[in-house]
Amino acid sequence: MLVAISAFSVALVSKARTDSGLVVRTVEVESYVIALLLDIRRAESAARGYMLTLRPDFLRDHDSAVANILPGLETLTQLTRDNPIQVENCRKMRSAVEIRLGQFAQQMDLIKQGDPGSAITLVREAADAGSGASIREIGRAMRAEEDRQFVARTATADRTQQLASVVTVAGSGLVVALAGFSILLVRRSSRARDAAETKLRDSNLTLEAMVDERTADLREANEEIQRFAYIVSHDLRSPLVNIMGFTSELEQLRGDIFRRIAALASAQSAALPVPENATDDEAALKGADKQLADDFSEALGFIKSSIAKMDRLISAILDLTREGRREFDPVPINTRELIEGIVKTVAHQAAEAHAKIRIENLPNIVSDRLALEQIFSNLIDNAVKYLETGVPGEISVRGRTRLGFAIFEIADNGRGIDPKDHQRIFDLFRRAGTQDRPGQGIGLAHVRALVRRLGGTMSVASEVRRGSTFTITLPLNWPFNKRNERA
Amino acid sequence: MSDPVTIIMIEDDEGHARLIERNIRRSGVNNEIIPFTNGTSALKYLFGADGTGLDHKGSALLILLDLNLPDTSGIDILKRVKENSFLKATPVVVLTTTDDSHEIKRCYELGCNVYITKPVNYDSFANAIRQLGLFFSVIQVPAAAT
Repeated sequence: MLVAISAFSVALVSKARTDSGLVVRTVEVESYVIALLLDIRRAESAARGYMLTLRPDFLRDHDSAVANILPGLETLTQLTRDNPIQVENCRKMRSAVEIRLGQFAQQMDLIKQGDPGSAITLVREAADAGSGASIREIGRAMRAEEDRQFVARTATADRTQQLASVVTVAGSGLVVALAGFSILLVRRSSRARDAAETKLRDSNLTLEAMVDERTADLREANEEIQRFAYIVSHDLRSPLVNIMGFTSELEQLRGDIFRRIAALASAQSAALPVPENATDDEAALKGADKQLADDFSEALGFIKSSIAKMDRLISAILDLTREGRREFDPVPINTRELIEGIVKTVAHQAAEAHAKIRIENLPNIVSDRLALEQIFSNLIDNAVKYLETGVPGEISVRGRTRLGFAIFEIADNGRGIDPKDHQRIFDLFRRAGTQDRPGQGIGLAHVRALVRRLGGTMSVASEVRRGSTFTITLPLNWPFNKRNERA
Repeated sequence: MSDPVTIIMIEDDEGHARLIERNIRRSGVNNEIIPFTNGTSALKYLFGADGTGLDHKGSALLILLDLNLPDTSGIDILKRVKENSFLKATPVVVLTTTDDSHEIKRCYELGCNVYITKPVNYDSFANAIRQLGLFFSVIQVPAAAT
């Protein structure tokens, strides 16, 4: 829009310039006409003067005037090319001027031949023929025409200028209007932005409140689970104490019973030689009695081993809930020292398994020392424990930092873990691979729970018989937000 | 052992109670054992009908206390016993499955004399009780404040 307006005003301005150029040309034309007429008059009067006085300066004057006439006429013709009326006038003027010039030449010739009388006659004839008058007539017509054009062109120029100013004013008005409109738009959009900002702030607050609420809910649920696990494991332990206790009592009873049976049996078969210790030795039992005693022992053995296992599981759950309730105490930790300490504790097992443990550069972090110790000792312990038989073990502990997190990798060349078990190994009481090593299936579950509580993540990459790499990502500086502190 | 010390056993699990009693007897302690299976009746006995504990003024008692009781918490009983002017000198042995360090600390703070965690392993259990019997035979239960 603005471009159109400016283009239009530029066009108008140039039009106005052209118009005023035309006006100037009209004036010019007029002055040329006047000059032409003047020259003709000068030539005439000079010719007359020469005729009368025969003075050569009149002749010079006449010649210079005559010389001016044709170029003047030429210029005039050039200038008025665009106006057909003036072209016609010019043509007439030219013929009239040529006739007049012809007369002048004739007069001059006659005078030069010393015949002023004929020249005077010729002048008289010329005056009668009115060639000078017709030239003047044509000059007047041309001037009139130019005057007319002058008026017309002036009017056009005025109109153009008026139009230009109108357009300029209109353009300015439009610009002002546009500016107003833009201000309005900007205002409106800024108002909308303010509203959106307020809304965003509100929703942020709401969101934060919601997050807090959910976090509180989660924490509550978590605490509930912890309490539940704690109570359940305690309450499970209570009957277990009884089962174990009375099983042991039964065992004692069994000893008493079978000793008695043996004694009775040996008393009955008095014929047989009685062993000296027969009264209190089960070895004296024979046949079916012995079978009974063995069955009894076997049953009791199963009960006791099951109780022992159940006790271990319950203890594990208790330990986990206890870990879950433990408050973390973040301190700056020299990770290398910590790992070296752990490696020392497994040095014996590692030597037995012909394993080498390499510690590479490790970033130091701020975290809970005990939790870190448990995490790394579990993982290094596992690496040593599950090496591939017959392959010298190579275990490496690596570390690097990225974006405020420390990434630790514990890699081994051990027996590895089947990909389908990669998730399972982190579940409580679940283990993978050949079950030829002691363990409850608690270590990794515990490690992962700890890593999560420390604000980190852990993952495993492993292939069967190719070794495993456990990757732990921990914040370099824990707690990095207050929420964890409250947890 | 200066007679007649009466052992008050507050234990809701009858099996546990039986096992404890057996092992105490095995260790050669023959004092009277009065069992209670819930906190309310134990408190009633200890503090008497008027709730002041005056009934037991001067009598030598020893309390075996389980913390996980169905009606009251063992901790409450411990607290009340130790706050009562007639009973506070009575030795209290806490014998429970809870092995939480906070709980243990709390009990000692409240004035418990011995804290024993019931192990599931019966040998350890029996051993602990026998040690306790030995302990009973050496400690001097004070005549309650007059």
